[in-house]
Amino acid sequence: MSASSSRAIQVLTHSPGTMIGVVLVMLHLAVAVFAPLLIPYGETQLVGAPLLAPGHPDFLLGTDAIGRDYFSRLLMGGRTSITVAMVGVLGAVLFATLIGVSAAYIGGLYDDVVMRIVDTKLSMPGILFVSLFVIGFGRSVVVLTIVIGISYFPGAVRTIRAQALTQVPLDYVKAARLRGESALSVILRELTPNVAEVVVVEFAIRTSSAILIVSALSFLGLGISPPTPDWGLMVSESVNQIYAAPWLVLLPAAFISSLVVGLNFASDGLANALGLDAARGLHRS
Amino acid sequence: MALLEVKDLKIAYRNNATGEQSLAVDGVSFTLDRGETLGIVGESGCGKSTIARALMAYCRPGGEIVGGQILFDGRDVRAFSEDQLRELRGKRMAMVPQDPLTSLTYHMRVGAQVDEISRIHQKLDAKAARQHTLSLFERTNLPDPARTYRRYPHENSGGQRQRVVIAGALACQPDLLILDEPTTALDTTTEMQVLKLVKDLRDRLGVALVYITHDLTLTNYMCENVLVMLDGKVVERGRTAQVFEAPTTAYAKKLVAAIPRVDAPAPVAQASTRTGAALLDVRNLTFRYGRSWSLNPFARRTIDAPAVDDVSFSVPAGGTVGLVGESGSGKSTIANVVVGLLTPTSGTVTFDGQDVGSVDGKRSADLRRRIQVVFQNPLSSLNPRQQVETILTRPLQVFFGITGGPARDRAAELLEQMELSPDLLRRYPRQLSGGQQQRVAVARAFAAKPDLLLCDEITSALDVSVQAQVLALLKDIQLKTGTACLFISHDLGVVKQVCDEVAVLQKGKLVESGRPADVFAAPSHPYTRRLIAAASRREDYEDIASGQDAAAPALEMASSTPGKGQT
Repeated sequence: MSASSSRAIQVLTHSPGTMIGVVLVMLHLAVAVFAPLLIPYGETQLVGAPLLAPGHPDFLLGTDAIGRDYFSRLLMGGRTSITVAMVGVLGAVLFATLIGVSAAYIGGLYDDVVMRIVDTKLSMPGILFVSLFVIGFGRSVVVLTIVIGISYFPGAVRTIRAQALTQVPLDYVKAARLRGESALSVILRELTPNVAEVVVVEFAIRTSSAILIVSALSFLGLGISPPTPDWGLMVSESVNQIYAAPWLVLLPAAFISSLVVGLNFASDGLANALGLDAARGLHRS
Repeated sequence: MALLEVKDLKIAYRNNATGEQSLAVDGVSFTLDRGETLGIVGESGCGKSTIARALMAYCRPGGEIVGGQILFDGRDVRAFSEDQLRELRGKRMAMVPQDPLTSLTYHMRVGAQVDEISRIHQKLDAKAARQHTLSLFERTNLPDPARTYRRYPHENSGGQRQRVVIAGALACQPDLLILDEPTTALDTTTEMQVLKLVKDLRDRLGVALVYITHDLTLTNYMCENVLVMLDGKVVERGRTAQVFEAPTTAYAKKLVAAIPRVDAPAPVAQASTRTGAALLDVRNLTFRYGRSWSLNPFARRTIDAPAVDDVSFSVPAGGTVGLVGESGSGKSTIANVVVGLLTPTSGTVTFDGQDVGSVDGKRSADLRRRIQVVFQNPLSSLNPRQQVETILTRPLQVFFGITGGPARDRAAELLEQMELSPDLLRRYPRQLSGGQQQRVAVARAFAAKPDLLLCDEITSALDVSVQAQVLALLKDIQLKTGTACLFISHDLGVVKQVCDEVAVLQKGKLVESGRPADVFAAPSHPYTRRLIAAASRREDYEDIASGQDAAAPALEMASSTPGKGQT
């Protein structure tokens, strides 16, 4: 394992795109975690005159329309959406692993039913489903996390099942069945470790898209509620001042894009690194 | 001036993790002229395919030609520009890779794929290219060229696919043809047809051939000269007959000695442990793949041909019985019935006096323990994410409840029994060589202390010398433990070497059975004769060629019902 993970690290750090992605993601995560220690003012406090331009001696990035420190709000603005996206997607991917692998292994009617449900969900436009859900169950962080989980679950099932299907016909699965291992034991002990790479990549890719969705919802007023700072929300709050104070829109937008671009680059690199590894294992014969 | 001259060729691969370069080909030199045939023999990993690619000025990613020269017509191919190389590849030199299914494009009709070559290189228009392709198909003995032309790769049998690839390689009448294990993916009779074709073409077209294989017998049949390679170096070279008759180096001697021969005398009656009473008794076994129902109308299966038809045989306690036949003959179906993965349509399977045929997956733990399986491809039968220790201790836990320290000790003991170091316990399967992997798989089977071991083509994925070693170890441990063995193989030489009794299967029917010495000395069924002739690869292969028509429909059937082939 150590040999293959060190190779994965090698490949990760090999391509400049991946490096940029990893650095961006690390930076964002560090800021999100340590933001409370870094911010000069409370993120919801009114501390100065409204609409001060960046470069002000007291307020590094100026203030917003009602006089809150914009630097503090930007640093704090990713915490909620990143948490919602990551927790939601993590839940989706873990559950999808169990369902996807079992569908591939058990097959038959169970597989059919699972996959048709998945197809049904996939045929709905994602943003529509999410907005209806939020409108129906109310705007809260918990509801958001659950809806993110539900909307990313079907796609993850599909990918993970496909990967598991390449493993099911292999003889090590047959050997386990002949040993009399239970279905659950085959799924967890034999198959799941062999789809782990796909699960990790799936998590990374879907998280980036979930962050976009959460931001879009906040922008539409269906996501995170004021006064909590959130990049999507901040863009929408500042759209009216776009000519007077364009930085109020551009800065949070830049934070969203840099995180999403970083995640995409990093997950691409991760997929390459892990994919290479998987290919080495099974295509040699 | 020779057509091809390779001087002191050195090719290195870079290790991704450490960045170090290691030599895969180390100072190889040879020359080849038109009409000559050179065989390059060695085990997997000895650098022979690397040379094949390098002749076309290509290296796998991470590989690099670090020294020496490859002179084609007196010019170094390494100095060629990309445009010049494009002229060279396909037009003046062509390559036939190992697996025709992966070297043809799935979604294109095979005719169009061959057309493409002459349209690009000879600038033929569509009509002329089609004519040319049809004539090539005719020359490569493809049945009904016009029909074959319209088929997709998967609609052809393995032998037909490989002939399509060869037709493509010949499209521009190259001066040099490189064949990289062209028959390894094919079964014995199909292999013979392809070999015969290649040999004919060489004689008729005067093309220079580089023939790469791990099978020494093939070079004897195909090539005038041979290079024997080990770890990137040439260890022996010369006229094939000479190398074959009187190998000088230790490695070549080992290779020649390891070839299991059908025509060799049967081994002297070994101290057999068989006691006479039938341990496994299969009576009038018939198996049909039934219909399977699914919500998805495209996934419903409706084939209804018997995969196994009224087969009876028995394995005595401690004895070894061989099941022989081509792919699609029903060998693997029988194996699946014996281990309980399939329920027979009719007939009985009795194990130690107990009817096990109808149990249908609900076998007792003890019964499962007593029948163990070793699969064909060790890389797929060992979980890539488990260390050898986990692989070996799991059956101990399941069958005997042994865990922790004692299980680890027992696992180490099992490895030692297979002449493997206990250090390997910490390794993952892909960190082992093919032979080591298969020995771990055998060790896993013996961890359960079985009474019957089912060996499903266990040597066909191994190199010849490794194969001999695995068989010897298996025989050894079998003698010590008194385990009976049902040995499934398409390799008659191997069967003759290890089995007390042999049963020959064709299209699900048992056509002949008896002691291997008798069956091979005086085969009574024409199919057995054909198998033996194909396996011994004598010069008198004419009867194979004449049996070709009979074999063709069988092959098509095998490839059109993928569910029942071997896994």
